[in-house]
Amino acid sequence: MLTGSKTTFKVRQMLPDIKERMLSQSGVAARSRDVFGLRCLPGECVLQRAIMVRKKLTAREGRGWVSGTLFCTHFRVAFVPQDSPKPDDNADPVLLGDYDVALASIEKVVVVGPNRTKLVTPNSSLKFTPEELVLYCKDLRVICFLFDRLTPDAQVIEITYTIAKTYQPLKPGSVLSFQNAALGSVEMKQFLSNRRRNTHMNWFESASDWEQELERCGATGWRVSSVNDRFEMSTSLPRSIVVPQKVLDTELKKSFAHFNEGRIPRWCWRHPRGSDLLRMASFQNNIYHEKDDIRNLEMVLFGCQSSLCVVVELGEELPSPADIQLAHGRLRALSLGDISTSVSVPDDKWLSTLESTHWLDYTRACLRKASEVACLLRGGHLTVALQEADDRDMACVVSSLVQVMCDPHCRTQHGFQSLVQKEWVMAGHRFYSRINYHRDNDKEEAPVFLLFLDCVWQLFSQYPSRFQLTDDFLLALHDSIHLPLFSSFLANCQRERCKRSQNLGQSYTPVNGWRDVESSSDPSDPPLPSVWDWSLQYSKHRRDRFTQPVPPIPPLQPLLNGNLNTNPDTHRLADTIPGSVFLLSRGIFSCPANLLPWRGGSSGVYKKSHRRAASSENVPGLERLLKAWALAEFPQGLTSTAGPQGPLDPYEPLLPLLMGPCMGLWKECYLRGALHAQAFSHPISANHPHPVELLAREVQQLKDKLAQVSTSTDPSPPTKLAEPRRADTNLNQNTNNGTFLFPASRPPSMAAPRAAPRAAPPPTSTNHQTSRGPPPASAPPPRLGHKDNSGGGGNKHTFLFGPPPVAEARLDQRYYPAPNNAKLPKSNGSSIAS
Amino acid sequence: MEKQAGAAGAADGAGPNRKLWSTPTGGLAAGDNLDSPTGSHVEWCKQLIAATINSQIGVSSVPVDNKARRRPDFMNLPALRYGSQATMFQNQVPLLPGETVQTTVKDVMYICPFSGLVNGTLTVTDYKLYFTSLERESPFVLDVNLGVISRLETISVPNQGENTKGLELVCKDMRSPRFAYKAQEGHPDVVELLAKHAFPLSHSLRLFAFLYEEQFPVDGWKVYDPTAEYRRLGLPNESWTISKLNSSYELCDTYPSILVIPTHITEDDVRRVAVFRAKHRIPVLSWIHPETQAAIVRCSQPLVGPSDRRCKEDERFLQIIMDANAQSHKLTIFDARQSSVAVTNKAKDGGYESESFYPNVELNFLEIPNIHVMRESLRKMKDVVYPTIDEAHWHSAIDQTHWLEYIRLLLAGAAKIADKLESGKTSVVVHCSDGWDRTTQLTSLAMLMLDSHYRTLRGFQVLVEKEWVSFGHRFAARVGHGDENHANSERSPLFVQFIDCVWQMTRQFPAAFEFNELFLITVLDHLYSCLFGTFLYSSEQERAAKEVQSDTVSLWSYVNSQPEDFTNPFYVDYEHHVLCPLVSSRHLELWTAYYARWNPRMRPQVPVHQTLKELLFLRADLQRRVEDLQREASSRSSSSFSEHSPSHTAGTPLHSAV
Repeated sequence: MLTGSKTTFKVRQMLPDIKERMLSQSGVAARSRDVFGLRCLPGECVLQRAIMVRKKLTAREGRGWVSGTLFCTHFRVAFVPQDSPKPDDNADPVLLGDYDVALASIEKVVVVGPNRTKLVTPNSSLKFTPEELVLYCKDLRVICFLFDRLTPDAQVIEITYTIAKTYQPLKPGSVLSFQNAALGSVEMKQFLSNRRRNTHMNWFESASDWEQELERCGATGWRVSSVNDRFEMSTSLPRSIVVPQKVLDTELKKSFAHFNEGRIPRWCWRHPRGSDLLRMASFQNNIYHEKDDIRNLEMVLFGCQSSLCVVVELGEELPSPADIQLAHGRLRALSLGDISTSVSVPDDKWLSTLESTHWLDYTRACLRKASEVACLLRGGHLTVALQEADDRDMACVVSSLVQVMCDPHCRTQHGFQSLVQKEWVMAGHRFYSRINYHRDNDKEEAPVFLLFLDCVWQLFSQYPSRFQLTDDFLLALHDSIHLPLFSSFLANCQRERCKRSQNLGQSYTPVNGWRDVESSSDPSDPPLPSVWDWSLQYSKHRRDRFTQPVPPIPPLQPLLNGNLNTNPDTHRLADTIPGSVFLLSRGIFSCPANLLPWRGGSSGVYKKSHRRAASSENVPGLERLLKAWALAEFPQGLTSTAGPQGPLDPYEPLLPLLMGPCMGLWKECYLRGALHAQAFSHPISANHPHPVELLAREVQQLKDKLAQVSTSTDPSPPTKLAEPRRADTNLNQNTNNGTFLFPASRPPSMAAPRAAPRAAPPPTSTNHQTSRGPPPASAPPPRLGHKDNSGGGGNKHTFLFGPPPVAEARLDQRYYPAPNNAKLPKSNGSSIAS
Repeated sequence: MEKQAGAAGAADGAGPNRKLWSTPTGGLAAGDNLDSPTGSHVEWCKQLIAATINSQIGVSSVPVDNKARRRPDFMNLPALRYGSQATMFQNQVPLLPGETVQTTVKDVMYICPFSGLVNGTLTVTDYKLYFTSLERESPFVLDVNLGVISRLETISVPNQGENTKGLELVCKDMRSPRFAYKAQEGHPDVVELLAKHAFPLSHSLRLFAFLYEEQFPVDGWKVYDPTAEYRRLGLPNESWTISKLNSSYELCDTYPSILVIPTHITEDDVRRVAVFRAKHRIPVLSWIHPETQAAIVRCSQPLVGPSDRRCKEDERFLQIIMDANAQSHKLTIFDARQSSVAVTNKAKDGGYESESFYPNVELNFLEIPNIHVMRESLRKMKDVVYPTIDEAHWHSAIDQTHWLEYIRLLLAGAAKIADKLESGKTSVVVHCSDGWDRTTQLTSLAMLMLDSHYRTLRGFQVLVEKEWVSFGHRFAARVGHGDENHANSERSPLFVQFIDCVWQMTRQFPAAFEFNELFLITVLDHLYSCLFGTFLYSSEQERAAKEVQSDTVSLWSYVNSQPEDFTNPFYVDYEHHVLCPLVSSRHLELWTAYYARWNPRMRPQVPVHQTLKELLFLRADLQRRVEDLQREASSRSSSSFSEHSPSHTAGTPLHSAV
């Protein structure tokens, strides 16, 4: 601490207060509430608070503002709206409330005073009383608080100083202390150690996890090998890897040396038409190839497909991590609209500036490459091996994008989580270095994972009805990346994760905030929580938004079975000479002599390999596969979607349109902080729930009503219910894509997932607002049927969209907001119409 | 449910067509051949056109037919029931009632910019140009109504042999199809024939709207009744009166016969004001706030001239307008023009209100460029979207057209007007130079933001009829219906701009509008098509003289006969809600579904329109069932049922574990 400075003085002045509070808290209960309604985490203490603060709401949150109390703890900046419901003291702790931001997410603190703005650093002093406090976050949020005239000036200044002092201007040590602040308390550790992990998803940690995946994909001819169990073969590969059944571990061991970092070709996924997707690093050329080695190498590479292998070189057309970092930096600068530097892009240059970031070019490049691979796999019965120099960046992007495109399972929340676990976390994407939490490795920093999320969002926005997860889920994941709390992202590979959890017992003290290892028998159990532990991070109603209320059509077959071989293209490849290897680069197939290092160099060895030379005869066949997507044909998307009654092949890849007009900007993510979007006093949100969801909710309400009416009239509901449900099934079949496949029944809480109770705005609103009634966010969730049922028919409008019960109470105002559904924040930017 | 009867009729009508279509291909069982992945591009273009313009009457019945075949048993979803061609024989052109074939040319090649050459037959009627490919199984159909043609150009077609002529139809709706054909002796030249019917007014022919004989069950001309609309706004009241001064269009020949002007002004004063305002377009009320009595008043520029003329009556007129609103002692004038232009207009005997002569008046310039700038901007846009789209420089190319910038200016201007009325409770006067272009755009957009009635399907029609049609937006000059002078500098896509702004608002408030995107595209398509009388001619007086109402069909007849196609299933009536769109260019998008729709790669990935329509039916169906059950419930148990929480008897878990 800098002694003598004004700020230090202030902080020091507060200290007794903190101490007192800490004492009182620890005296009462571990999970206590601050008197002003903040529910603290165990061990968390409030450093400062300010009352009568208004928080600007983004378009997504319903716009306008909400007033309440602002807190700064040593873990987060929290905001509790005035009339927020009293939290349940016995509920499990949630790290961040709906309006909170973790200190570690804050990048910059800016205050706005009369006619001036100022960047507040831990050392700066304020010469004016701020009217507005703006927190710029690393996850591109911009959070803006307004101090009312009623807020005591002292509180305003003190909380500003406190935030500026406590947020972490990234030093190596600060991450640890942040983790400690969040999870370090005894109660919290206890709580975490008792948490069960999500069993609905595949964690890909043990051999059995992989076996489960093999079974799911119907991949025969592969086995799980534990040859790397002690990370002796490759430090960055996971313990379990999937290799061809016919390759013995002893043979396998000889292969590792031939690949960069020992990352040999490994199985990732099998397309239902029987093609396998593999990943590998580039070859080590300076190693002498023995005869046996070569046979092993080829067996590993060709997998169980004897016919054809296509090596897709990922380095060429895809951006490098440095490119991505640069583009993302530019996009950030463009999106944030930083008032402290008052750099803003003129409106008429917005699109050009966006283009010059190249971010969209990079998403397009990734999607294009993934589409090519998806088209190849669709051809059936070949092996596609993704090759990247170190196999830890773009290979993750492309392999997981391919699976999102082709495998409906990966478009569900749990399937997607499993996918990230498989292709990123376990496959050894260097999250820790790429995110650069400690800001000690700027050279390596590159938001590769964020680029991937953007690509998934592009797919989502073009095919919203084919996803079970939502863009809200993607956004939550996006934000969690910036929180240095999760074991998923705090290591570069499985080995590092294991090492830490094993070391924990000996060398790490609880100061570091890591959970004791003794509690978990499984050594690979991460000591820090996993990012997939959503209930730790988000409240229930936020989590409810992670999935579409109306799930997409389930696959026709329960499992991928590898036998979905209906492709007319297959015969073209059937006559392929066994053992042909092609290289796909820049959209062109070739069979260069030196593709496999052991082939070109020594022809003698190659002859003994019992395989014939790769001929270019099959190239047209392969190119035809690609053409299906890349050239002027438009076969699949149209035929699969235009005939709503035709059987929809759930494994047809979702091939994105990549033309300029079709690539959108993820505005809900990048532009949510833009200050001009947080316009005041707009009674209606520009963003609405997903129209699909709105309707689904409505249908659900109708159904609930139906069920209710029928149960209330007829004591034997099943017969009553049977009729509408049957009709629904019919309808479902007739709707396209299963977009609107309504479940026969769903719990009521799910039916109104967006309808989160929000605090009503205070009466001290602007003219505009009082004349129009309170902003929409105040409207309560639509009650399901039973409320208005008692009224008999109810008027049509009310009936349709669920009445806002509060509206009746506000009849004194001439204008009251229409049903709140439309304001519940969730938008579907471009998806429906484009 | 007379709709369903109609639907059944349409389904019957589709029956014979289906047979006729499937016979040559050898008895298709359920017509599912189209579901097989043909993947051919021709199929594509056809599908595309079907998808984007399946509202167009002129569109081949093929897509309509396809739909009928695809979903033979799907509920009772009618394809567009009215206005589709009644009869259709193999290889014969579907005709509208009143449409006649002019010529048929064989061996024509359509030079498709996306897939190359397509061989086929070209038919020219007095309404459209219809091209079918020779393929029997899934013929490629191109259907271009003649009204949309801006100019005909002969192009050179190399490598196609002697006598081959090339023809390019430069269209107003962002496409330019090209054909190559062999000139035949003895046949009338197809270009001449096309020119004759594409530009009937230049060849002393009647517009096709006067030949069209379709009977619709709804009469669209009844949509707008000015007196009823003013009554809805609470007019007349003590300050405003409905005046018949212009009943014979002698006060102002471009205004409607019914005007709303202040009560406390004499007829002589009004006439003096008319002399002082350009084209005699005096300040008249367009809309009045039901609560604050703040009004939107529209007019043309004052004829101030270089010598700063004054007009006492005009000054008093504005004072009275100000006084009519008790909430505010101010009046805001929005001059849509750029301030520099307003100043130069003074030299041309025009000008703007001087704040020193008009006490308590605040003058704002909205800095919107003129019609020529807009025309040029859209022309650039066409180069960007048709025929090829540059992938890498798409965004900067859009920026360079400045189209979105002008959209932003318009929306921002309209939002300022709406805000002035709503928050400032102040009356506003809007004008540009003549008060029929930018003024119309601004007032109609502001009204759309302020009044939820105009966001309904019917209300929007009223808005267009009132602000655009009756107040003399010069459609004839701006669109150039039936006129071959394509270089006329009076042409400008102002109405397109307005619809684009509306679309931007529907994007930002997807549940606030009762109509859907298809409706907006349909309106724009028939802005050019000359099929309906709605947008013909430039003023009410002219329309009365040409007997448009009695001799042509209204576009709204067509729309309102099948409203389910144009209804947004997510509509919520935000009564009394003011929409304030975000007008930063970050929140505007290019309307690619309209501008870039001819590119087959721009197809929507999911069939949006059909889905929406099905949702509408689904909703109605469920609603009906609930009502039935409720009725049943109330009749069975006279006692109100207990507070029964919706417990789910058959609660299958929604998210099945994976």
